[in-house]
Order: sequence, then structure tokens, then C-alpha cells
Amino acid sequence: MKRIILGALLAAAVSTPASAQSFLGFRALGYPVLPSGGRTVGTGNLGIGLAGAELSASDPAAAAGLPLPTISLTMQPTWGSFEIGEESGTSNTTRFPLIAIGFPFPRANGVATVSLAGYMEQRWAGERVGTVELGGQPVLVADTFETNGGASVARLGWAQRIGPGVSVGVSAGAYVGRLEQFYDRTLDTLGVPAGVEPFYEERRWRYGGYNLAAGFSLDPHELLHLAGTVEWSSSITEHPRPGTEGKTSYSVPLRLSAGATTQLTSRLLMNGSVAYQDWSGAAGFEEGTVSSLAFSYGGGVEWTAVQRETRSLPLRAGYRRVTPPFRYGDRDPVESIWSLGVGVNFVEVQGIRRGWMDLAIERGSRTSHPLTERFWRATVSLGISRS
Amino acid sequence: MTRRSMSAPVFGALAFILGGCAEEIPTATRDELVTPGLAVEITLPFDDFVASTAVYGGFGRAAQLGGGVVAHEFGPGPDEDGVEGPGLEAVTLARFARFPRNVTTVDTAGTNRIDTLITIQAAHVLVRFDTVGSIAEGPVEIAAHTLGEDWDPATANWHFAVDTLGGEVPWSEPGGGAQREFAKAVWDPAEGDSVEIALDSALIELWSDSTLTARDIRVSTSEPGVRLRVTLMQLRLSILPSINPDTVLSVPVATTAATFLYDPLPRPPRSALRVGGAPSWRTVFSLDVPHSLTGYPKLCDALGCPVDITPDHVSYAGLQLTTLAGSPAFAPSDTLILDVRMVTAPNFLPKSPLGPSTLGRRGGGNLAPELFLAPAGQVVEIPVTDLVRDQLRGETLVGGPVTSSMALMSIVEPWSIEYATFGGRTSSSPPSLRLILNFSRGG
Repeated sequence: MKRIILGALLAAAVSTPASAQSFLGFRALGYPVLPSGGRTVGTGNLGIGLAGAELSASDPAAAAGLPLPTISLTMQPTWGSFEIGEESGTSNTTRFPLIAIGFPFPRANGVATVSLAGYMEQRWAGERVGTVELGGQPVLVADTFETNGGASVARLGWAQRIGPGVSVGVSAGAYVGRLEQFYDRTLDTLGVPAGVEPFYEERRWRYGGYNLAAGFSLDPHELLHLAGTVEWSSSITEHPRPGTEGKTSYSVPLRLSAGATTQLTSRLLMNGSVAYQDWSGAAGFEEGTVSSLAFSYGGGVEWTAVQRETRSLPLRAGYRRVTPPFRYGDRDPVESIWSLGVGVNFVEVQGIRRGWMDLAIERGSRTSHPLTERFWRATVSLGISRS
Repeated sequence: MTRRSMSAPVFGALAFILGGCAEEIPTATRDELVTPGLAVEITLPFDDFVASTAVYGGFGRAAQLGGGVVAHEFGPGPDEDGVEGPGLEAVTLARFARFPRNVTTVDTAGTNRIDTLITIQAAHVLVRFDTVGSIAEGPVEIAAHTLGEDWDPATANWHFAVDTLGGEVPWSEPGGGAQREFAKAVWDPAEGDSVEIALDSALIELWSDSTLTARDIRVSTSEPGVRLRVTLMQLRLSILPSINPDTVLSVPVATTAATFLYDPLPRPPRSALRVGGAPSWRTVFSLDVPHSLTGYPKLCDALGCPVDITPDHVSYAGLQLTTLAGSPAFAPSDTLILDVRMVTAPNFLPKSPLGPSTLGRRGGGNLAPELFLAPAGQVVEIPVTDLVRDQLRGETLVGGPVTSSMALMSIVEPWSIEYATFGGRTSSSPPSLRLILNFSRGG
């Protein structure tokens, strides 16, 4: 287990540039990250209501069934493109949206969880060429503005089994992370005296705030699994670092989510999930920045193509329609994602995975006029349980 | 067992590989993504950034110029304070080494041999002039004299052959003492940059004496309104070797010292600022650069006043000076190159050490001579961005100490006999500081 934790820590250290890349939310907190593993992504789920014991940042009761200490790590390389009006471009990045550990306490019928999950991230650059008047003469200037960073949530949780097929979970989290902005202005040296220096300014903030979540999972029938979560958050505050001015707080609305999985055949599961979070009344944002859309949903299937005594190989497919909270322009953003996935369960005992790797590939697009972004995104999750 | 031992390395390797993938940040040229910054140009009047100025002279020596000046009745007229001055008189002195006792030459068999039985057939002094920096209407008659008095190359001036503290020895006659003219020659700028002054046989005989300690000449002109810049004075002997009498060898004799004497010395300016000359003048500014600004409408309208300014906000700072027509005798005839340095120990002025050059590498201190032609009044700008940033920072970029004094000076002292003159605090156009400031407005 020490080796696993060591590996996870190494991954966390290397994963510093955990940034989403989108122009959405450039006037607000950025683009939301789905802090889920490859199984969730592959089945089109929103992170709640999948059958089976899971380490999840958005489903605090999901870990209740873990019999052994477990760790999972998720990585996401993304290749994207964008169009804004007539301008287009590309981007790519690798991020680590979720690192989670679960540690069961059998005598208490509960599991303690620790996780670091992505929340809102922004990483983009804007350029502008214009003129300023100096000495009565127009002088060409080139401005570059780059922003980099994002907020994550560090959570401690507890999932408690309270009866056959009934579990509840709670978690408390703190927003962590930083935001860096760089502004660079270069003046045309032909228009101003020799020796003019470019102007450069960098500003840095750290994120602060906390959130609480509570949820349940319920198996009312051996073929049906239900789950629900309510998540409350304090305001997210950008605290200026030394040398930077300006403290800003943004309120975060309540988030409600629910999901269900039903077993259609012995090898086929179907899931659906929905989330509601209404940002339209959130305070602290520029007028016209937040979306009026509040519902997101997703669903998909998981078919166990190969089933052996201690190993299995499920195939997955899904679709999600997500409503990111912040606009680019004056239209509410919508994100549509189709996904395919495969799981390799190296060790599986009585339906509980003890060593696995989940792979998913997504093809998605998001629009908020005049912005359209498309992307291919791979998700790789590794997990292992050890006694 | 194998799977168990591989867990951590697999996590680590995957993390390393994916974490090391090239990142490409999405970049778009859109106005809405960049809140434009604010670029403002303001000009601080003299009293808003200068506490005082002082002009100091006497830096360097004429002998360090590496050449000389020849002038006669050049540029009589008023200086920048309106004080009438006579024309410039200037002569150049040179001292030559002993003549060689032998030469190495090729004999009839083609072998290099040292010949001690040499005959000096003729000798001349080659005088080369700076054709750009010299002022003459046409051909100029140059006179060469031998000197009859000892002189100190390092300290000699128009009135004194030796001018050391407590050891002053005046010339018997100002301008080089007793002398004997031995030749004249005419330099025509249209035909070349040099003139040869021949030595007569008596002088060659005299200077051939190896016990003689001084072989000094003085070069001058009697043409009024002429100021010539001498770049080289070299004695050359035409030697006939005994082992190859059909060949005449031209052998140079080392010039061991050279300087020039001139009169009158420029008087210190009453209120104007002065830079250059030989010995050189410097103008020292005691700065009082404000850390916040108010009263500039464009700035205040955009950001609200007072506005604090930091070194990062200063993209450019230029010291604006207005040229004056100084004494015509010392008016620039070629480009002057100025420099700005921090005065590191103002309490020891005028002998304070100076900080490094701020314009030597970057340039920006070149001033054309036409700027100082009457009636002058041209505004020139000397970049002082680094110094103003240091003032605002309170230390240099590398954390060194900063004083509030800066010296405006020639980039090399002395650079030439000519100097630049600018309007001072009481002039109609006192110095000002032009600033180009940049501010971001939130991105």
C-alpha cells in the first residue's frame, strides 16, 4: 500500500499543470471539471448513481461498500480546437481531475475517504493589437493576456453502511488552488524612442472557501441502485498574493444531483444521472456572465463482454449534456459529449473490483456564441485495493 | 506477485509520461479577452523631478585625448551667458624618441642583416587631421617649431609647462615658451587628410644626438578662423643603409608624448548645463522623482489620482534638454556622445565615483553638432529609463544601492575639446522628464 500511495503522490506532484483549456468563463471562474474516473466518463454518468463501490468526489456514499483500502488515480489528456467567429485554433493539455483514497473501518461499517478533485479551471491567452497615442502620434501596441490556474477541492469524507443496501455519506472540502494572470504590452519601437521597455505585470491569487456534501445510496431491489447528493458551498474567494491587489468572492449555488443504475441482464447495466445547479442568481459575477441553464444529464450502458471468475472486461458507452455555468458571450453554453469506454478488471471478487484500469474516449463540443469548442478527450483511471 | 510490485511504478510512469505531454494553450486574438492597458505619456517639469543641478569641470586631461588641436582666432563671440570671448588659440605638442642606431635590412645576397652604418637622408613629421571634425574654409598653412623648454606632457597647458600642485613652471611665453620655427607646410583638406613637415638637415643632425633628452615640436597655424583636430603626429626618417645603398628605408620614430595647449579656457557657466570638453565638464542632477502622480488629466481620468507609479510602470523615461549655442570657440563640429551614470557617493562630488554606463550599450546619447548652431533651441532627449526605475525601486535591478544623483557626461572623458550646452533651471526651456507609463486595467 505504501508503494501505491508513493505512486499517487508522485502523480500528484507531476500533475501540477492540471488545467482545463476553454475560453468559457473567461470573465468568471472558468470551465468546470468533472472529477470522475474512466468508468463514470465511459458510461456518460455525471458522477453519481453508478452501481458498485466507487471512490467518487461527487457521490459521498459511493465508497461505503469498499472492503479494502483503495486508491485510484485519473488522468485526462485532451486535444481541442476552437472557433470564435472567423478565428480558429488548437490546444492540448493533460490534467489529473481526481486522486482519491478510501480506507475502510470494518468495525464501524464505514469508509473514510480523502480526495483531491478538480473543480473550476482556466487556462487561456488572449491577444490584442491596437494603437495608443503618444506624443500626438499613434503607436502600435501588442497586448497579451494569459491566465492560468484553477480551483480544486480537497475533501475528507465518511461513507456509512446503515443497513442492507442502504448507505449514507458526508464530506467536507476546502477549495485550494491558485490563479495567475500575466499581462504583457509591447510598444512598436519605431514609434517611440529607442530604449522603450515592454510592460509586464503578473498577478496571483489563491482560492479559498469550503463546501459540505451529504448523500445516500440505496438498493431497493437487487436490480436497482439509486443515489442522491446535496452539496452546499461557501463563497469561493480569490485572495491576492503579495504584490497583487483585489480580493473577489463569488457565491456558489446549491448543487443537487441524483442517479440510478438498473441491471437489464446479467451482463448489462444501464445508468442515468441528473444534476441541478442554478447559477443565475450567484453573486460576484459580471452581469451577463452566468448561464440561466441549470440542468445537466447523462446516461449510458455498461456491458460485460468478458466475465471470468476473478476478471472481467466491461465495455461502456454514454452521452452527457452538461450546462457549464459561465458564458463566453451572451448565449448560455451547452456541452454535448459522446463517450466510449472499456474496463479491465484485473481482480474482481463478488462484484467488487480490487485492481482495475478504466479507459474512456470522449468526443465533445461546447458552444456559447460566438465560441465553439470541440475536443477529443481520453480518460485513464487506475485503481487498486490492498489488504 | 509481479502485479503487486508493479503498481507504484505504473502509476508513476503514466503520470510522468502524461504530465510531460506538450501543453498548447488556446490563444485567440479577441478584444474581449484582453482589457486594454493604459499607456500615458506625461512630461514632468523641472521642479517636479529635480532638486538641484551642478556643473563640474576638470575631468581628464587634454593629453588623454590621443591627438591634438590646432586653432587660431577661432570662434570669437559670446558664450551661453553672453560674455564675449576671444577666438580660440590652440597648438599641439609632440615629443619623439631617440633616432634608431641601426636598421635591419636585406643585403645583396638576400639575407636580413643589422646595419649600424646608416645615413639619415631626410626626415619629416606626418600630421594627420580629422577631416570631419576640423573646420577650415580651404588650404591651411601649418607651422612647425622646436621647443626650447622642458614640459610635462600630462599637465602642460597654455600658461604652464608644468602644472602640478606646488610645482608650477610657467612657459617663458604662453603657448609653448621660446621656440624656433623650422618648417611650414600647407594642408589642403580637399587633397587628403595629412600633411608632411620636413625637418631641415641641421635639425636632423641635432636630433641624431642620442644624448639629447627632448625632441619636441609644436604645430600651429596662423590662419584665423581655423580649428583643426589632429589625430596623429609621427616622425619618419628616410634612412640609407650601408649594406644596400640602393634602398631608402622609411623608419618611424616613436612618439612618446603628445598634448595640446589652448586658450582661453572656458569659464564655468552661470546657469546653463554643460557636458564635454577637454578637460571634461559634467552636469550632475540631484533627482527627486515622484512616486505618485497627480494633476495629469488623462491619467487621473482613467485611474483616479493620485496614481502610484512603480518601476514596472515606467516603460520609458527621457531627459529632455534644450540646446544652447555656447561659446563658438568650443562649438561641436562632430557628433557628441553622451552618457548618464549614477553618482554613487554624492558627498564626495566632484570626485565621487560613478556607476556603470547606462547608454554605452544601448545608445541614445548621440547629439549632432547642428543642434548647437545658433540660435540652437533644439529639444534633445537622453534615455534615463533605468535610472528612473532605480529611483522608484530604491535599489538597482540587482539590489545595489541607489543615490538620487546622476551625472550627464561624455561617454569617454575627454571626448573632444568641444562641449554641449543646455538650458538650465532659469532658462526659458529648463530640462523636463518625459515618461511613457503603462498600466494594466484588470485584464
